[in-house]
Amino acid sequence: MSETEAKTYENFVLPARVVSRIDVSRLVSEVEWIDGELTAAAVRSKTGKEEPAQPTYSDQLNDFLKENKLSLEDSRGRSDLIKELRLLKDKVPVIHMTFAVPADHESLQELAQWLRTEVHPQALIAAGLQPSLVAGVYLRTPNHIHDLSLRAVLKGKRDSLVKELETLRVRQ
Amino acid sequence: MGLFQHKDHKGLTDAEAFEAEQHFFDENFREELRNHGRLYFEKVIKENGKIFKEDLDATITSVNTTLKEHTDKQLEEAIASIKAELKEHVTTQLDGQFSEFSKAAKESQDVALKSLTDSADNLKKQHEDLASTLQKSIANQSLMLESLFQENMNKIAAVKEANDAALKSLNQSLEELKQQNEQITEVLEKKIATQEEAIITAFEGNMAQVVEHYLLDALSDQYDMKAQLPSIIKQMELNKQAMVDDMKL
Repeated sequence: MSETEAKTYENFVLPARVVSRIDVSRLVSEVEWIDGELTAAAVRSKTGKEEPAQPTYSDQLNDFLKENKLSLEDSRGRSDLIKELRLLKDKVPVIHMTFAVPADHESLQELAQWLRTEVHPQALIAAGLQPSLVAGVYLRTPNHIHDLSLRAVLKGKRDSLVKELETLRVRQ
Repeated sequence: MGLFQHKDHKGLTDAEAFEAEQHFFDENFREELRNHGRLYFEKVIKENGKIFKEDLDATITSVNTTLKEHTDKQLEEAIASIKAELKEHVTTQLDGQFSEFSKAAKESQDVALKSLTDSADNLKKQHEDLASTLQKSIANQSLMLESLFQENMNKIAAVKEANDAALKSLNQSLEELKQQNEQITEVLEKKIATQEEAIITAFEGNMAQVVEHYLLDALSDQYDMKAQLPSIIKQMELNKQAMVDDMKL
Protein backbone atom coordinates (compact mmCIF):
# COMPACT_ATOMS: atom_id res chain seq x y z
CA MET A 1 0.00 0.00 0.00
CA SER A 2 2.88 2.24 -0.66
CA GLU A 3 0.80 4.06 -3.24
CA THR A 4 -1.95 4.64 -0.75
CA GLU A 5 0.53 6.10 1.64
CA ALA A 6 1.82 8.48 -1.03
CA LYS A 7 -1.64 9.62 -2.13
CA THR A 8 -3.40 12.38 -0.36
CA TYR A 9 -6.91 13.55 -0.95
CA GLU A 10 -5.61 16.35 -3.16
CA ASN A 11 -4.25 13.77 -5.57
CA PHE A 12 -7.32 11.64 -5.76
CA VAL A 13 -8.93 11.21 -9.12
CA LEU A 14 -12.67 11.06 -8.83
CA PRO A 15 -14.38 8.64 -11.19
CA ALA A 16 -17.36 9.70 -13.25
CA ARG A 17 -19.77 7.71 -11.07
CA VAL A 18 -18.84 9.85 -8.09
CA VAL A 19 -20.79 13.01 -8.65
CA SER A 20 -21.85 14.46 -5.33
CA ARG A 21 -20.62 14.75 -1.80
CA ILE A 22 -23.11 12.03 -0.90
CA ASP A 23 -21.27 9.69 -3.22
CA VAL A 24 -18.01 10.51 -1.42
CA SER A 25 -19.70 9.90 1.92
CA ARG A 26 -20.91 6.58 0.59
CA LEU A 27 -17.31 5.73 -0.40
CA VAL A 28 -16.14 6.56 3.09
CA SER A 29 -18.82 4.40 4.67
CA GLU A 30 -18.14 1.52 2.32
CA VAL A 31 -14.39 1.60 2.92
CA GLU A 32 -15.00 1.76 6.67
CA TRP A 33 -17.31 -1.25 6.46
CA ILE A 34 -14.83 -3.19 4.30
CA ASP A 35 -12.05 -2.30 6.69
CA GLY A 36 -14.07 -3.68 9.56
CA GLU A 37 -14.93 -6.83 7.65
CA LEU A 38 -11.33 -7.47 6.56
CA THR A 39 -9.98 -6.80 10.06
CA ALA A 40 -12.48 -9.23 11.52
CA ALA A 41 -11.54 -11.79 8.86
CA ALA A 42 -7.85 -11.40 9.73
CA VAL A 43 -8.61 -11.99 13.41
CA ARG A 44 -10.69 -15.04 12.57
CA SER A 45 -7.92 -16.45 10.33
CA LYS A 46 -5.45 -16.09 13.20
CA THR A 47 -7.76 -18.04 15.49
CA GLY A 48 -7.89 -20.82 12.87
CA LYS A 49 -11.53 -20.44 12.11
CA GLU A 50 -13.03 -20.69 8.67
CA GLU A 51 -11.91 -17.87 6.41
CA PRO A 52 -14.85 -15.65 5.48
CA ALA A 53 -15.73 -14.77 1.90
CA GLN A 54 -14.05 -11.76 0.30
CA PRO A 55 -16.41 -8.66 0.53
CA THR A 56 -17.79 -7.34 -2.76
CA TYR A 57 -17.22 -3.70 -3.69
CA SER A 58 -19.68 -1.30 -5.21
CA ASP A 59 -19.17 0.01 -8.76
CA GLN A 60 -18.28 3.44 -7.42
CA LEU A 61 -15.65 2.04 -5.10
CA ASN A 62 -14.32 -0.25 -7.79
CA ASP A 63 -13.98 2.71 -10.20
CA PHE A 64 -12.39 4.85 -7.49
CA LEU A 65 -9.84 2.20 -6.59
CA LYS A 66 -9.12 1.55 -10.24
CA GLU A 67 -8.75 5.22 -11.16
CA ASN A 68 -6.41 5.82 -8.27
CA LYS A 69 -4.64 2.48 -8.52
CA LEU A 70 -5.43 1.60 -4.90
CA SER A 71 -6.00 -1.64 -3.02
CA LEU A 72 -7.77 -2.35 0.24
CA GLU A 73 -5.79 -5.38 1.24
CA ASP A 74 -3.47 -3.61 3.68
CA SER A 75 -5.05 -2.60 6.96
CA ARG A 76 -2.96 0.52 7.43
CA GLY A 77 -3.55 1.57 3.89
CA ARG A 78 -7.31 1.24 4.48
CA SER A 79 -7.05 3.43 7.54
CA ASP A 80 -5.12 6.09 5.62
CA LEU A 81 -7.61 5.87 2.77
CA ILE A 82 -10.50 6.37 5.17
CA LYS A 83 -8.77 9.39 6.64
CA GLU A 84 -8.03 10.89 3.24
CA LEU A 85 -11.52 10.18 1.96
CA ARG A 86 -12.97 12.01 4.97
CA LEU A 87 -10.71 14.96 4.23
CA LEU A 88 -11.72 14.78 0.58
CA LYS A 89 -15.38 14.87 1.59
CA ASP A 90 -14.83 18.01 3.66
CA LYS A 91 -12.37 19.85 1.44
CA VAL A 92 -13.46 19.07 -2.09
CA PRO A 93 -15.09 22.03 -3.89
CA VAL A 94 -18.86 21.65 -4.47
CA ILE A 95 -20.67 23.47 -7.22
CA HIS A 96 -24.41 23.90 -6.63
CA MET A 97 -26.34 23.42 -9.79
CA THR A 98 -30.10 24.05 -9.89
CA PHE A 99 -31.99 22.76 -12.90
CA ALA A 100 -35.49 23.36 -14.27
CA VAL A 101 -36.17 19.64 -14.57
CA PRO A 102 -34.99 16.67 -12.50
CA ALA A 103 -31.45 15.76 -13.46
CA ASP A 104 -30.74 12.12 -14.29
CA HIS A 105 -27.52 10.51 -13.10
CA GLU A 106 -26.02 10.20 -16.57
CA SER A 107 -26.37 13.92 -17.23
CA LEU A 108 -24.91 14.71 -13.84
CA GLN A 109 -21.97 12.43 -14.60
CA GLU A 110 -21.41 14.22 -17.91
CA LEU A 111 -21.52 17.61 -16.21
CA ALA A 112 -19.20 16.42 -13.45
CA GLN A 113 -16.75 15.22 -16.04
CA TRP A 114 -16.81 18.54 -17.82
CA LEU A 115 -16.32 20.42 -14.54
CA ARG A 116 -13.39 18.21 -13.58
CA THR A 117 -11.80 18.67 -16.98
CA GLU A 118 -12.41 22.39 -17.36
CA VAL A 119 -12.77 23.90 -13.89
CA HIS A 120 -11.46 21.72 -11.06
CA PRO A 121 -10.31 18.08 -11.13
CA GLN A 122 -12.19 17.19 -7.97
CA ALA A 123 -15.32 19.26 -8.41
CA LEU A 124 -18.52 17.77 -7.01
CA ILE A 125 -22.09 18.71 -7.85
CA ALA A 126 -24.96 19.50 -5.46
CA ALA A 127 -28.03 19.25 -7.67
CA GLY A 128 -31.26 21.14 -7.06
CA LEU A 129 -34.61 21.64 -8.78
CA GLN A 130 -36.39 24.93 -9.65
CA PRO A 131 -39.02 24.60 -12.44
CA SER A 132 -39.40 28.38 -12.81
CA LEU A 133 -35.98 28.45 -14.44
CA VAL A 134 -37.70 26.97 -17.54
CA ALA A 135 -34.45 25.67 -18.95
CA GLY A 136 -30.71 25.98 -18.33
CA VAL A 137 -28.98 26.01 -14.98
CA TYR A 138 -28.62 28.25 -11.96
CA LEU A 139 -25.04 27.72 -10.91
CA ARG A 140 -23.44 28.68 -7.61
CA THR A 141 -19.65 28.37 -7.14
CA PRO A 142 -18.15 29.02 -3.67
CA ASN A 143 -18.17 32.79 -4.16
CA HIS A 144 -20.30 33.54 -7.23
CA ILE A 145 -23.65 32.93 -8.79
CA HIS A 146 -24.07 32.29 -12.50
CA ASP A 147 -27.67 32.37 -13.65
CA LEU A 148 -27.51 30.51 -16.93
CA SER A 149 -31.26 29.82 -17.06
CA LEU A 150 -33.73 30.72 -19.83
CA ARG A 151 -35.66 32.81 -17.32
CA ALA A 152 -32.59 35.03 -16.82
CA VAL A 153 -32.12 35.30 -20.58
CA LEU A 154 -35.72 36.42 -21.07
CA LYS A 155 -35.49 38.82 -18.16
CA GLY A 156 -32.33 40.32 -19.61
CA LYS A 157 -34.08 40.82 -22.92
CA ARG A 158 -37.25 42.36 -21.56
CA ASP A 159 -36.10 45.89 -22.32
CA SER A 160 -35.48 44.99 -25.92
CA LEU A 161 -38.96 43.41 -26.07
CA VAL A 162 -40.51 46.62 -24.71
CA LYS A 163 -38.57 48.63 -27.27
CA GLU A 164 -39.80 46.38 -30.03
CA LEU A 165 -43.38 46.81 -28.87
CA GLU A 166 -42.93 50.59 -28.81
CA THR A 167 -41.61 50.48 -32.31
CA LEU A 168 -44.57 48.39 -33.39
CA ARG A 169 -46.97 50.90 -31.84
CA VAL A 170 -45.29 53.87 -33.49
CA ARG A 171 -45.61 52.14 -36.86
CA GLN A 172 -49.32 51.51 -36.30
CA MET B 1 -215.60 -12.44 18.18
CA GLY B 2 -216.71 -11.25 14.82
CA LEU B 3 -215.47 -14.29 12.92
CA PHE B 4 -217.54 -16.87 14.69
CA GLN B 5 -220.53 -14.68 15.40
CA HIS B 6 -222.65 -16.44 12.76
CA LYS B 7 -221.84 -19.96 14.12
CA ASP B 8 -224.60 -21.67 15.88
CA HIS B 9 -223.93 -22.22 19.55
CA LYS B 10 -227.37 -22.96 20.61
CA GLY B 11 -226.81 -26.65 21.40
CA LEU B 12 -223.89 -25.93 23.77
CA THR B 13 -223.88 -24.68 27.31
CA ASP B 14 -221.84 -21.74 28.36
CA ALA B 15 -219.26 -23.89 29.99
CA GLU B 16 -219.15 -26.09 26.93
CA ALA B 17 -219.02 -23.15 24.77
CA PHE B 18 -216.26 -21.72 26.81
CA GLU B 19 -214.48 -25.01 26.68
CA ALA B 20 -215.00 -25.32 22.94
CA GLU B 21 -213.90 -21.85 22.56
CA GLN B 22 -210.85 -22.57 24.65
CA HIS B 23 -210.30 -25.65 22.51
CA PHE B 24 -210.32 -23.60 19.31
CA PHE B 25 -208.65 -20.57 20.61
CA ASP B 26 -205.45 -22.14 21.86
CA GLU B 27 -202.15 -20.41 22.01
CA ASN B 28 -201.02 -21.41 18.52
CA PHE B 29 -204.18 -20.26 16.92
CA ARG B 30 -203.83 -16.98 18.67
CA GLU B 31 -200.34 -16.58 17.55
CA GLU B 32 -201.45 -17.43 14.01
CA LEU B 33 -204.03 -14.81 14.23
CA ARG B 34 -201.63 -12.21 15.57
CA ASN B 35 -199.27 -12.93 12.74
CA HIS B 36 -202.05 -12.76 10.23
CA GLY B 37 -203.19 -9.51 11.73
CA ARG B 38 -199.73 -8.12 11.81
CA LEU B 39 -199.14 -8.94 8.13
CA TYR B 40 -202.47 -7.47 7.17
CA PHE B 41 -201.77 -4.39 9.20
CA GLU B 42 -198.34 -4.02 7.60
CA LYS B 43 -199.89 -4.38 4.14
CA VAL B 44 -202.51 -1.77 4.91
CA ILE B 45 -199.91 0.53 6.38
CA LYS B 46 -197.65 0.09 3.32
CA GLU B 47 -200.55 0.80 0.89
CA ASN B 48 -201.62 3.80 2.88
CA GLY B 49 -198.00 5.03 3.15
CA LYS B 50 -197.61 4.73 -0.60
CA ILE B 51 -200.80 6.63 -1.19
CA PHE B 52 -199.84 9.16 1.44
CA LYS B 53 -196.45 9.61 -0.18
CA GLU B 54 -197.98 10.13 -3.59
CA ASP B 55 -200.41 12.62 -2.11
CA LEU B 56 -197.63 14.32 -0.25
CA ASP B 57 -195.50 14.57 -3.40
CA ALA B 58 -198.35 16.01 -5.35
CA THR B 59 -199.07 18.42 -2.53
CA ILE B 60 -195.45 19.48 -2.29
CA THR B 61 -195.24 19.98 -6.06
CA SER B 62 -198.39 22.04 -5.97
CA VAL B 63 -197.16 24.02 -2.99
CA ASN B 64 -193.84 24.62 -4.70
CA THR B 65 -195.45 25.89 -7.84
CA THR B 66 -197.81 28.11 -5.94
CA LEU B 67 -195.03 29.36 -3.69
CA LYS B 68 -192.84 30.09 -6.69
CA GLU B 69 -195.50 32.00 -8.45
CA HIS B 70 -196.29 33.94 -5.32
CA THR B 71 -192.68 34.70 -4.66
CA ASP B 72 -192.06 35.84 -8.26
CA LYS B 73 -195.00 38.09 -8.10
CA GLN B 74 -193.97 39.51 -4.76
CA LEU B 75 -190.40 40.03 -5.95
CA GLU B 76 -191.44 41.74 -9.17
CA GLU B 77 -193.61 44.08 -7.23
CA ALA B 78 -190.89 44.77 -4.69
CA ILE B 79 -188.27 45.35 -7.43
CA ALA B 80 -190.54 47.68 -9.32
CA SER B 81 -191.23 49.60 -6.15
CA ILE B 82 -187.56 49.71 -5.20
CA LYS B 83 -186.56 50.77 -8.69
CA ALA B 84 -188.97 53.65 -8.65
CA GLU B 85 -187.85 54.74 -5.22
CA LEU B 86 -184.20 54.34 -6.05
CA LYS B 87 -184.57 56.30 -9.27
CA GLU B 88 -186.29 59.07 -7.50
CA HIS B 89 -183.70 59.11 -4.71
CA VAL B 90 -180.71 58.98 -7.08
CA THR B 91 -182.16 61.73 -9.23
CA THR B 92 -182.63 63.90 -6.18
CA GLN B 93 -179.13 63.13 -4.95
CA LEU B 94 -177.54 63.76 -8.31
CA ASP B 95 -179.34 67.02 -8.76
CA GLY B 96 -178.11 68.15 -5.34
CA GLN B 97 -174.58 67.08 -6.02
CA PHE B 98 -174.60 68.65 -9.48
CA SER B 99 -175.65 71.92 -8.05
CA GLU B 100 -172.94 71.67 -5.37
CA PHE B 101 -170.30 70.69 -7.92
CA SER B 102 -171.27 73.56 -10.17
CA LYS B 103 -171.01 75.94 -7.32
CA ALA B 104 -167.62 74.59 -6.19
CA ALA B 105 -166.28 74.60 -9.76
CA LYS B 106 -167.30 78.13 -10.20
CA GLU B 107 -165.64 79.12 -6.96
CA SER B 108 -162.50 77.21 -7.97
CA GLN B 109 -162.45 78.83 -11.35
CA ASP B 110 -162.73 82.20 -9.72
CA VAL B 111 -159.90 81.43 -7.34
CA ALA B 112 -157.70 80.00 -10.14
CA LEU B 113 -158.43 82.98 -12.35
CA LYS B 114 -157.48 85.28 -9.56
CA SER B 115 -154.36 83.32 -8.86
CA LEU B 116 -153.39 83.31 -12.53
CA THR B 117 -153.92 87.01 -12.74
CA ASP B 118 -151.75 87.52 -9.65
CA SER B 119 -149.06 85.21 -11.05
CA ALA B 120 -149.08 87.04 -14.36
CA ASP B 121 -148.64 90.30 -12.54
CA ASN B 122 -145.84 88.87 -10.47
CA LEU B 123 -144.17 87.41 -13.52
CA LYS B 124 -144.41 90.69 -15.31
CA LYS B 125 -142.91 92.41 -12.35
CA GLN B 126 -140.16 89.83 -12.01
CA HIS B 127 -139.46 90.05 -15.71
CA GLU B 128 -139.08 93.76 -15.42
CA ASP B 129 -136.80 93.31 -12.40
CA LEU B 130 -134.75 90.68 -14.22
CA ALA B 131 -134.41 92.84 -17.28
CA SER B 132 -133.23 95.69 -15.13
CA THR B 133 -130.81 93.44 -13.21
CA LEU B 134 -129.55 91.89 -16.42
CA GLN B 135 -128.87 95.24 -17.91
CA LYS B 136 -126.97 96.24 -14.82
CA SER B 137 -125.08 92.93 -14.80
CA ILE B 138 -124.18 93.22 -18.46
CA ALA B 139 -122.89 96.71 -17.86
CA ASN B 140 -120.83 95.44 -14.90
CA GLN B 141 -119.56 92.45 -16.88
CA SER B 142 -118.58 94.69 -19.72
CA LEU B 143 -116.66 96.90 -17.36
CA MET B 144 -115.02 93.88 -15.72
CA LEU B 145 -114.10 92.29 -19.04
CA GLU B 146 -112.63 95.53 -20.21
CA SER B 147 -110.62 95.78 -17.03
CA LEU B 148 -109.53 92.11 -17.28
CA PHE B 149 -108.58 92.54 -20.89
CA GLN B 150 -106.44 95.48 -20.01
CA GLU B 151 -104.91 93.59 -17.13
CA ASN B 152 -104.19 90.55 -19.33
CA MET B 153 -102.67 92.74 -21.95
CA ASN B 154 -100.36 94.15 -19.31
CA LYS B 155 -99.50 90.63 -18.08
CA ILE B 156 -98.82 89.37 -21.60
CA ALA B 157 -96.53 92.30 -22.17
CA ALA B 158 -94.73 91.50 -18.90
CA VAL B 159 -94.46 87.82 -19.81
CA LYS B 160 -93.13 88.70 -23.21
CA GLU B 161 -90.59 90.98 -21.61
CA ALA B 162 -89.61 88.19 -19.17
CA ASN B 163 -89.38 85.71 -22.02
CA ASP B 164 -87.09 88.04 -23.91
CA ALA B 165 -84.92 88.41 -20.83
CA ALA B 166 -84.89 84.63 -20.25
CA LEU B 167 -84.08 83.99 -23.87
CA LYS B 168 -81.28 86.46 -23.70
CA SER B 169 -80.01 84.86 -20.50
CA LEU B 170 -80.32 81.39 -22.05
CA ASN B 171 -78.41 82.49 -25.12
CA GLN B 172 -75.72 83.90 -22.88
CA SER B 173 -75.64 80.68 -20.83
CA LEU B 174 -75.54 78.65 -23.99
CA GLU B 175 -72.60 80.64 -25.18
CA GLU B 176 -70.87 80.16 -21.83
CA LEU B 177 -71.68 76.45 -21.88
CA LYS B 178 -70.30 76.19 -25.36
CA GLN B 179 -67.09 77.82 -24.24
CA GLN B 180 -66.94 75.58 -21.16
CA ASN B 181 -67.60 72.55 -23.30
CA GLU B 182 -64.77 73.51 -25.61
CA GLN B 183 -62.45 74.01 -22.65
CA ILE B 184 -63.52 70.71 -21.06
CA THR B 185 -63.13 68.92 -24.38
CA GLU B 186 -59.66 70.35 -24.74
CA VAL B 187 -58.71 69.35 -21.17
CA LEU B 188 -60.25 65.92 -21.59
CA GLU B 189 -58.47 65.33 -24.86
CA LYS B 190 -55.18 66.26 -23.25
CA LYS B 191 -55.94 64.07 -20.27
CA ILE B 192 -57.05 61.18 -22.46
CA ALA B 193 -53.88 61.48 -24.51
CA THR B 194 -51.80 61.47 -21.33
CA GLN B 195 -53.66 58.51 -19.91
CA GLU B 196 -53.50 56.71 -23.22
CA GLU B 197 -49.77 57.19 -23.22
CA ALA B 198 -49.52 55.96 -19.63
CA ILE B 199 -51.77 52.98 -20.35
CA ILE B 200 -49.81 52.07 -23.45
CA THR B 201 -46.55 52.33 -21.55
CA ALA B 202 -47.93 50.19 -18.77
CA PHE B 203 -49.38 47.83 -21.34
CA GLU B 204 -46.05 47.49 -23.06
CA GLY B 205 -44.39 46.72 -19.74
CA ASN B 206 -47.09 44.23 -18.87
CA MET B 207 -47.05 42.85 -22.38
CA ALA B 208 -43.38 42.07 -22.03
CA GLN B 209 -44.18 40.28 -18.79
CA VAL B 210 -47.08 38.49 -20.44
CA VAL B 211 -44.91 37.39 -23.35
CA GLU B 212 -42.21 36.32 -20.98
CA HIS B 213 -44.65 34.43 -18.81
CA TYR B 214 -46.17 32.83 -21.88
CA LEU B 215 -42.77 31.73 -23.09
CA LEU B 216 -41.87 30.39 -19.67
CA ASP B 217 -45.10 28.42 -19.54
CA ALA B 218 -44.80 27.25 -23.10
CA LEU B 219 -41.19 26.16 -22.90
CA SER B 220 -41.04 24.79 -19.39
CA ASP B 221 -42.25 21.34 -20.37
CA GLN B 222 -40.47 21.18 -23.69
CA TYR B 223 -36.93 20.22 -22.65
CA ASP B 224 -35.70 17.38 -20.51
CA MET B 225 -32.28 17.36 -18.92
CA LYS B 226 -30.58 15.54 -21.78
CA ALA B 227 -31.91 17.98 -24.32
CA GLN B 228 -30.70 20.89 -22.23
CA LEU B 229 -27.29 19.44 -21.53
CA PRO B 230 -25.47 20.77 -24.65
CA SER B 231 -26.90 24.21 -24.06
CA ILE B 232 -25.90 24.13 -20.37
CA ILE B 233 -22.37 23.05 -21.21
CA LYS B 234 -22.20 25.76 -23.84
CA GLN B 235 -23.29 28.36 -21.28
CA MET B 236 -20.79 27.06 -18.78
CA GLU B 237 -18.09 27.22 -21.41
CA LEU B 238 -18.83 30.90 -21.77
CA ASN B 239 -18.51 31.36 -18.00
CA LYS B 240 -15.69 28.89 -17.54
CA GLN B 241 -13.02 31.40 -16.74
CA ALA B 242 -15.06 33.08 -14.04
CA MET B 243 -15.73 29.69 -12.47
CA VAL B 244 -12.09 28.71 -12.56
CA ASP B 245 -11.09 32.01 -11.00
CA ASP B 246 -13.65 31.56 -8.27
CA MET B 247 -12.34 28.08 -7.49
CA LYS B 248 -8.83 29.40 -7.09
CA LEU B 249 -9.84 31.94 -4.50
